[in-house]
Amino acid sequence: MKKTKIIILSLFALAFFATTFQRVTAQNSSEPWTQQQLLAPSALAKTINNTKAAQPLVYCIGPQAIIKNSIEIGSAQVPSNLKNFKQQISRLPKNANIVIYCGCCPFDVCPNVRPAVNLLKEMKFTNFKLLNLPRNIKVDWIDQGYPVAE
Amino acid sequence: MKKLLFIIALFCINIPVIYSQTIGLEIGNRAPDINLPNPKGENIALSAFKGKIVLIDFWASWCPPCVKEQSELVVLYNRYKDAEFTNGKGFEIYGVSLDNKKANWENIIKKAYINWTQVSDLKFWASPVAKTYNIQALPFNVLVDGKGIIIAKDLHDNDLEYFITKLLSGGETKSKN
Repeated sequence: MKKTKIIILSLFALAFFATTFQRVTAQNSSEPWTQQQLLAPSALAKTINNTKAAQPLVYCIGPQAIIKNSIEIGSAQVPSNLKNFKQQISRLPKNANIVIYCGCCPFDVCPNVRPAVNLLKEMKFTNFKLLNLPRNIKVDWIDQGYPVAE
Repeated sequence: MKKLLFIIALFCINIPVIYSQTIGLEIGNRAPDINLPNPKGENIALSAFKGKIVLIDFWASWCPPCVKEQSELVVLYNRYKDAEFTNGKGFEIYGVSLDNKKANWENIIKKAYINWTQVSDLKFWASPVAKTYNIQALPFNVLVDGKGIIIAKDLHDNDLEYFITKLLSGGETKSKN
């Protein structure tokens, strides 16, 4: 009897963990980027400040290029800007070290990050990162004293 | 003569009291003044609206929740712009845009039928006003009374209108942020 109870409880526990895991996985997979493709602002700032380090190509796909040496594309939600971005990166090797950022708003309401990430994926780029600016470019970059465009 | 001296002394004593209202971002502080150009390029100061209840609305055309909120503000503005408040006569919105492209800013003003004062230095998140007001996210707003004193911060939707109606009714307004 005791054995049966243990088996039933174990099955319930297994079902609970399986459901939870499924939910978490579903949440992560709802975005076109993976956790590994998110780049910490401190890491990018460190690279930019180290002039001897290999520099990535940093593209701003938001309203304005704030980060030092970044290339302004314009808001990726605008089809002409996305087309321009496609033209610019089409010349690059598929393993090019690319970083994109917007920073207008938190990711959940940002209209620009998804079209840009999807384009990079469609074009089969293998080494691109999305700068992790969970709030915006002011709070997560400017206020941190990281290098800005002059 | 003694009477005159007494009045002058009284006046001098009160000067620091009158002007010591702390400028800051907390409720009860005097809101820092803003003086930026409107779309026509004419500078308009926040202090020009002294005497009215003013909602300082920080927004941008590139911020989807801000654009969505503009249509709600249109309703609010038309409903209360001529209202009498316990601590101000009339309701005004002072829209401060963190846009960087004038055309985009003007486009939303036109599309959303915004008919209140709009100003911007078109410097995006690098605008000094974003630093002065310690803006952490958009949309953000600050409500000031007729004396320019902050009475509420970051109120949206029903919370904002509820707060305004409390000012109308003459009831005691609790600080809310």
